[in-house]
Amino acid sequence: MAKQYEIPIGAQHISLLEPLHFKFTTENEKIVNTEANVFYVHRGIEQACVTKFKFRQVSFVVGRVCGLCSISHSTAYSQVAEKLLKIDIPIRAKYLRMLVIELDRIHSHLLCLSHVAENSGFEALFMKTMQYREFSMELLEAVCGNRIQYDFAIVGGVSRDLKPEVGQTILKRLKTFMPQLEEIVDIFKTNWTLSLKNKGAGIINKEMVYRLNAVGPFARAAGVPIDVRNETEDLLPWKEVGFEVVTETSGDVYARNLVRLKELYVSIRIIENIINGLPESALITETKAFPEGEATVRLEAPRGELFYYAKGNKTQVLERLKIKAPTFSNVAAMRAAFEGNEYASAPAIIASYDPCLSCTAR
Amino acid sequence: MKTFFKALGNVFKKPVTTKYPFEQTYKPDDYRGLIGFEESLCIWCRRCEAVCPPGAIVFSQDMEGKQTYHYNRAVCIYCTECVRACPKEGAIFQTAEPAPCALKEENINNGWNKLFAEAIESRELYAAEKKKKAAEKAAADKAAAVAKKAAEEGNKEG
Repeated sequence: MAKQYEIPIGAQHISLLEPLHFKFTTENEKIVNTEANVFYVHRGIEQACVTKFKFRQVSFVVGRVCGLCSISHSTAYSQVAEKLLKIDIPIRAKYLRMLVIELDRIHSHLLCLSHVAENSGFEALFMKTMQYREFSMELLEAVCGNRIQYDFAIVGGVSRDLKPEVGQTILKRLKTFMPQLEEIVDIFKTNWTLSLKNKGAGIINKEMVYRLNAVGPFARAAGVPIDVRNETEDLLPWKEVGFEVVTETSGDVYARNLVRLKELYVSIRIIENIINGLPESALITETKAFPEGEATVRLEAPRGELFYYAKGNKTQVLERLKIKAPTFSNVAAMRAAFEGNEYASAPAIIASYDPCLSCTAR
Repeated sequence: MKTFFKALGNVFKKPVTTKYPFEQTYKPDDYRGLIGFEESLCIWCRRCEAVCPPGAIVFSQDMEGKQTYHYNRAVCIYCTECVRACPKEGAIFQTAEPAPCALKEENINNGWNKLFAEAIESRELYAAEKKKKAAEKAAADKAAAVAKKAAEEGNKEG
């Protein structure tokens, strides 16, 4: 048996976006075992939501759980609160929620792709992807009034209407983005240097996905069509706006990149369909009821399935709120996917998981 | 090879970044900026204070019952919840102006916490004073009524 070395990466490391700690046991530069510690950014948000804030204010608090999937969190919470209040929201509010979720998915996926490029050692592609990502931030600012914290989904509907001229700007900017996206796809598919780091690295197969309960692009890259948008139709009408599930087969970093890139095309199609066929109705359902009973909600965030559980007791303050973020589901599969890889490819593999530790630790 | 030539071409292109402090970056017309307040329109229902998620709005009250509006731009999250809750159109509104940075001299956190506690206390004091006055008035009324009744009864008997 060769000598084994333990190499830590994190909690503060140049290739990590957020505090995350991995301890690799390596043997001849090959990773044989991994330990992960993901709870460095615990902020006690769940407890704050059930003590300090009223149930209508919580949708703004949970929006601060994560910067990248802020809208997914506030939408999921609004949906679970609406289930407790037993109200149905107007159709226009549903469409606007889907629009912002998809715009958010574009900027989140582009950020992840740029970091995969950076961690694989391709700094120029990182710059390029970040440059092309800027349009989605500006569109989100035009729709919601802010670049990061959207505060768009509130209990009962949405907070702002989409102006027709903003809708036209979105369509125009998406048209200019299409050739840029083609360019990025071309580089990610055909670049030889990038393929050395990405192809065959961090492989996870179908059987492992089922056994380790992976979700999101991580699972879809292995050929498992797990997508909440594909499974439920009761809260948001995804099939109506042209959603299709995207899968790849090889399950490595390259496949995860391709899944994200293909999902961008799907997102763009959904946004175009929403703006072209936006139904007219009110924006918000007013109610004076208080939350009562228990409810759960699943929503497809950019990283996978987001799960919310809430329990109300007919008062202003909720009794319990539970958030299960997609990265938390993926931790076991993340550990398994490292095995047998070179230590040098670990940063690229970490970036391809797109881990969001703020969501996980809340 | 194509990428190489593209990269070479970029040398002769203009930078895509904006020189921020000298040039304004992209800002939509309905940007979520500072919250404005129009005192003449306010009906002093304090609904904006009740709905504000971070507690950036508070009303203090003096002993005559006059209320004063306090707002902290550094605590505010610009969610527009106060504007939606306001029953009187235009009393509280959102401008497109971004908030200026907070300075150390302003003591924006501790100062605000102190102000918030004082404002709540001033309202409680006023409420207690009002209650006391009401109780005094009720007692006086009651005494007057008893006296009147006694006088009436005296008249009847007499």
